[in-house]
Amino acid sequence: MLELDNISRYFGGVKAVDGLSLRVQRGEILGLIGPNGSGKSTTVNLIAGLYAPTKGTLRFEGRDIAALPPHRRAELGIARTFQNIRLFSQLTVWQNVWAARVVRETGWAGFRKRWLAGAGAARDEAEQLLEFSGLAAKRDHLAGNLAFGEQRRLELARAAASGAPLLLLDEPAAGMNSEEIDELDQRIRALRDQGRTIVLIEHHMELVMGVCDRVAVLNFGRKIAEGTPAAVQDDPEVRAAYLGSDEGDDMMAAALAA
Amino acid sequence: MDFYLGLAQVIGVHTLLGLSAWCVLHTGQVSLAQGGFFAIGAYAAGMLTTMAGWPLLLALPVAALAAAAVAVAVGFPALRVKGLMLVVATMAFAEIVRLVFFNFKWRVEGPNGPVGPDAGLGFGGIRYFQTHGWTAWDVLALIWCLVALVMLALWALDRSRIGTLWRAVGEDEVAAQSAGIALTAAKVSAFGIGGAIAGLAGGLFSHTTTHIEHGNFTILLATFAIAYPILGGLKSLAGTVVAVIFIQGVLVEGLRFLGDWRSLLFGALILLVMLVRPSGVLTAPLWKRGTARSPVKRPRAVEGETRHA
Repeated sequence: MLELDNISRYFGGVKAVDGLSLRVQRGEILGLIGPNGSGKSTTVNLIAGLYAPTKGTLRFEGRDIAALPPHRRAELGIARTFQNIRLFSQLTVWQNVWAARVVRETGWAGFRKRWLAGAGAARDEAEQLLEFSGLAAKRDHLAGNLAFGEQRRLELARAAASGAPLLLLDEPAAGMNSEEIDELDQRIRALRDQGRTIVLIEHHMELVMGVCDRVAVLNFGRKIAEGTPAAVQDDPEVRAAYLGSDEGDDMMAAALAA
Repeated sequence: MDFYLGLAQVIGVHTLLGLSAWCVLHTGQVSLAQGGFFAIGAYAAGMLTTMAGWPLLLALPVAALAAAAVAVAVGFPALRVKGLMLVVATMAFAEIVRLVFFNFKWRVEGPNGPVGPDAGLGFGGIRYFQTHGWTAWDVLALIWCLVALVMLALWALDRSRIGTLWRAVGEDEVAAQSAGIALTAAKVSAFGIGGAIAGLAGGLFSHTTTHIEHGNFTILLATFAIAYPILGGLKSLAGTVVAVIFIQGVLVEGLRFLGDWRSLLFGALILLVMLVRPSGVLTAPLWKRGTARSPVKRPRAVEGETRHA
């Protein structure tokens, strides 16, 4: 459903992403991992449209989207969450979800639906998402006042509310405790079971290895491995990339040992 | 009594001006163009009633539409830039409008001699109210009916999806885009609606003062326009009204004996509000310190900065 073909993005002399090719299949959960600074978030920003690729082609459902602005890509069906949470913090929980849901009805048909025929179905859908995220009781709270884990859940709900079939989750587990990560695991699976395709960028190996169908590993902006979680964990180059990095990324070591 | 009637009219007109800036500020844009739209509305409505002989109640909406049309035309290119650059761009626009009217001369023969804008001499004789037997009370009622109407419309708008989308854009443009909101559409629509309200205010202004000139539409007017919603806060429309009453009633009229020193006080007041209550004076209970502060922006992490739990 999504094809990156030889995509590069340079920042000055820094090759953040360097000739990356990647296929995302409909209905799968694809993990995107790699040491810090390996280009994962840049890749997400390229797909979501915040950066334009320096080189390469980007296709979504067979259509070249490299030149489209972010909101057009969201319309076509690519939604995302952010590594550093970006909610509409002075809006209520409900409005955060509603804003993403309501823009889907565009044009004259949308106008008619919105103003003349009511918006029952859209409202129900947004309500269900709040329910799904466990935020229904807090619908009238300001998003900025939510606890950290709740803010992450709300961001996921907002991304899902856009109705996009492809969700890009940029480190959704960052800062979460293990209980919250279990919940997140279940939510990601539930979203997949609803027919969504998910690209999961994550440092938390247990989550990635547990939930993903396939995993791609980046290092220095290049893809060094791709395959099932088990195959990737056994890959010597992946081990070298993780164990050789400054951070020593102990969680990878732990995951590899497990 | 006449003084207070006049003051109440000024407050009504400036409330509309403040509400026009309120719309634009909602999408997170600081515009100094509102004075320009106000000028366009003032000249358009004045010309329609004096030169074309239109009834005022028809001239006002047409003047508002004219200002809105200009706002949309200007908004498309101008709103591509943000922050300080937008302030500069809109300020330049307002100056251009002022200079156009400074040079704009179009006189036609009226029943009592020539009427119409006379370039640097201004545009006088906009005496629709006087020739049609409106008393000061009638005028006041008209102004405040329109204020009420606009406030009601904005109140509904704010609660509608358009309001939600405007606020979302004002909160975080990157997140709004990624949620599928077209930034240009949101900003330009806010600009257009704000322009219409400013144009309406301008039309009322030219008819209450009967004489307008380019000097009425300086940068000070634009500063007033954005000061009202900033002072009153974006959460409530009533805040804008209270801010206008305070600035026009207390600062401008009440402290008239201070002369031009008032401008200094005005600047200091804006600074103070920005420092102490950045989301507006009336947004939260005054006795609860700090509640009205906007949340501290999360530092932007570089990629990979966040770690697993």
